[in-house]
Amino acid sequence: MANRVDPLETMPVSRYARSVSRGLRLWFGLMMVFLYVPILFMIVFSFDESRTPGLPITGFTLKWYEVMLGNRVLLRALGNSLTVAAIVAVLATTIGTMAAFVLVRGGIRRRNAARIVFTMPIMVPGVLIGVALLIYFARVLHMPLSLVTVVAGHLTFTVPFVVLIVAARLQGFDRALEWAAADLGASPRRAIRHIVLPLIAPAILAGALISVTLSIDEFVITWFTVGAQATLPTYIYTQIKFGVTPEVNAVATVLLGVTLAFLGVAALILSRGRALSGRLRRRRPTA
Amino acid sequence: MSAEIVGGAAVAPPTTMTIGRGARLRQLAPFLPAGVILIGLFFAPLALMLVFSFWQTNEKLDIVATWSLQNYANFFDNPTYVRTLAKTIIIGAGATVACLLMAFAIAYFLARYVPRRWATIALLAIVVPFWTSYLLRVYSWQAILGEFGAINQVLMGLGLISEPSRLFVYNDASTFIVLVYVYLPFAALALYASLERFDFTQLTAAQDLGARPDQAFRHILLPQIRPGIITACIFVFIPILGEFLTPIMVGGANGLLIANLVSNFFRNALIPEGAAVAFMIAALVTLLLIVFRRYLQIEDVVARG
Amino acid sequence: MSTFDHRFSRRRFLQASAAVGATVSLGGITAACNVVGQQGGTFNWMTWGDHYIDSQLKAIEESDKIIANITELAGNAEGFAKLKEVKGQLDMISGDALWVPAYYDEGLIEAININDFKVASQLYPLAREFKIWTVPGGYLGYPFGWSPISIYYNPKFVDPAPDSWEVLLDPKYKGRVVVENQPEEIVAYMGKASGVEDPYNMTDDQLATVKGLLEQLKPNVLRFAQQSIDSVNSMISEEAWLITGNLGNEDRVKEGGGPEIKSFIPKEGTVGWMDAEMTVKEGANKSLLKPFLEKAEQAENIAANFLAQGRPLFNEAAYKILVNSGEKDRADRYLYNKPETVNSMTLKGPGLSTAKSIQLFNEVFGA
Repeated sequence: MANRVDPLETMPVSRYARSVSRGLRLWFGLMMVFLYVPILFMIVFSFDESRTPGLPITGFTLKWYEVMLGNRVLLRALGNSLTVAAIVAVLATTIGTMAAFVLVRGGIRRRNAARIVFTMPIMVPGVLIGVALLIYFARVLHMPLSLVTVVAGHLTFTVPFVVLIVAARLQGFDRALEWAAADLGASPRRAIRHIVLPLIAPAILAGALISVTLSIDEFVITWFTVGAQATLPTYIYTQIKFGVTPEVNAVATVLLGVTLAFLGVAALILSRGRALSGRLRRRRPTA
Repeated sequence: MSAEIVGGAAVAPPTTMTIGRGARLRQLAPFLPAGVILIGLFFAPLALMLVFSFWQTNEKLDIVATWSLQNYANFFDNPTYVRTLAKTIIIGAGATVACLLMAFAIAYFLARYVPRRWATIALLAIVVPFWTSYLLRVYSWQAILGEFGAINQVLMGLGLISEPSRLFVYNDASTFIVLVYVYLPFAALALYASLERFDFTQLTAAQDLGARPDQAFRHILLPQIRPGIITACIFVFIPILGEFLTPIMVGGANGLLIANLVSNFFRNALIPEGAAVAFMIAALVTLLLIVFRRYLQIEDVVARG
Repeated sequence: MSTFDHRFSRRRFLQASAAVGATVSLGGITAACNVVGQQGGTFNWMTWGDHYIDSQLKAIEESDKIIANITELAGNAEGFAKLKEVKGQLDMISGDALWVPAYYDEGLIEAININDFKVASQLYPLAREFKIWTVPGGYLGYPFGWSPISIYYNPKFVDPAPDSWEVLLDPKYKGRVVVENQPEEIVAYMGKASGVEDPYNMTDDQLATVKGLLEQLKPNVLRFAQQSIDSVNSMISEEAWLITGNLGNEDRVKEGGGPEIKSFIPKEGTVGWMDAEMTVKEGANKSLLKPFLEKAEQAENIAANFLAQGRPLFNEAAYKILVNSGEKDRADRYLYNKPETVNSMTLKGPGLSTAKSIQLFNEVFGA
């Protein structure tokens, strides 16, 4: 881990340092604008009077939010998406973490090959996976399509993400801590539960976060593997086909707001916790 | 080998050497669910598709077991596939370079000049767009880039142009811009994860020893963050090979990329034909992965302690 | 030790709150969607978004307790392919023209006795007697609507008034044409333009001619519309001057605040569709379909659908309602009372040259 030293102390003698730093600050601001302009448009259109989102804005109204609340199909799709994402996150994180342990510590000889194998589901075009799963579920497994098949489809690419992230973290893990625990009488399982897992928790959390993010907005594979249900992205897609009405924008805005609120709360808690653990951590020799 | 497993510390573990068969199986057991998913939900279905790609579709849109290399031959006979794949690679490479440059500046700024807490918040702010619908974000770009979209309206309003510019109207430039927009956060996260571990005092040390800033940059910084750069490249370039929604929505009639050609087949129930083209893409991707296998370290993409 | 506790509880907290959040939202939404009693039931219908109006579905739910669980039908081929895989998971599916017998031949749907439907008496007689939909076992589907494909143009920019498919190829209109993102249809349009009678079953020679036309078309196409509303929007904003589409777009453009546009059916002939609701053979909830259709296909509902979407439908009684409510002009303009027009269109369907058409499309519109 890089030591957090005050940049001003380590600043090189170069003349350009200050303008570089100012330039970078400006660039950062520009980039945030770039990232958020379409989102702002999306939000603004949700308040637009006109039925088809687009410039110019004709008037301001909250009616699309009302319509959204009354649109049961939309709300059901939203519910499905959230359910699927929650289940996928839990499953992917658990399965992926377990697999990461074996991948790093299980004495697998060709580690790079294993990594490639795990990276492949992320890298194959989604259309191919979607069609493949549809045919596979229908003809080989004779499984009816439902949210279960959707979850299965999502697990295909979220588990590899979790495995790779946790494995990366696990690889740099100092096993001396576990042996110290063993010396103090802890069984391997206790050591893992109380020493290893808490320390790699950030990586596990990152994996869970990525799983939720990817699952919630997953469209292509879901389109092929969903049964008679809708998820939010497939619903939005059908709306785009028949003309996006601003109620879709309203949903996206609400989802965004809820997410930001949730992240804000999480950030508060994390920062408070980290202040404590940071102090404790700096005393240990390695991270 | 034991030194490899134990994360670099060259100390022998206290546990004993011989591991019986049962214990070995129990050791590998946690891998089972992931293995089942990998094989059962990925390799098996794709193997089926691979077989299909060698079969044919009949007039009733059934897949019949007539083995033939026709679909693959088509990929090479019909020049459009190679050309479109080449175009996709070019646009993908361009977008990757653009993303890298833009994201590097962001990541460098956050890693070096911003305290950890604010950097985390900034990174989350960069990731949050992912929580809104991809489709809607691209749709919003239509409203920005179109002939009567925001850009043109602003330019006309400022009097810079008298007629709407058709510079970004439904063409490859639009596709490029939107692809960079969509994948910039990936690149930023991957680069940040690498830069965050970098000890910036090394740059000062280098300069104390007489290096110019750009020399320090090139010889000290870049080599150490190479895994991050490669990760960013892979996470931007390879998914672009599978992009079909963005080209259709903002790319116009001349902006079709290779995944559009594949989906044209699938949408007409021509599965073997589509599968063949899709596997050619997958083959290319696998090739790239093998070439860059040493760099496949997915660092903590969310910077935490 | 307190560090570990802290991290553990932090992680636990976040996991718990995520689970709680998901449960709460799920619970809230299920509560909101608390469906009416179980006497009627739910059936799964895969159809296009313009086959129903939400308020009508709600009304049927309330009166008959029958709930239609609708999934989007992307296109005929995709629906066909999906139904082949999922079979009994759907109960009713919509389909166009010659696709209907294809579904039947594949054993996916079953024939109905159309004259058993009371509401069928409201249909134009010819809608109950299409040869392509008649089999010994009955009628293959309940007819809904139809439309030829016409070309729309903005007379402000398109001059002189066109009458042929060739106008789409005119270099004057470079980048001003919007067609729908349906490759096999675009190839069919050019097939019609080259004088082919059946553009879904073309010979290699005919395809070669069509290729030349497609290459002329390519620079003129501004973009591919995901569906008709995108084409309509393009006309409204005037970024497009020519579009293809079903009947009824003049009014939709006008309602969107757009200019006055005109339409015509190309003199070389056009393709078109007529669709029907088909009963899936292995559907679990087949019994709900007849009572549902008896209500959904009533003239009032059909008339409302016409006013919303603009293309003609097969319900004759609905025409009378439209006339009585002062919409005769509009109905006549869109050929509502001329269902025999379907006989002059080339009907959509699966064709022997589909694979080659897609290859051709990819070849021209790829890089």
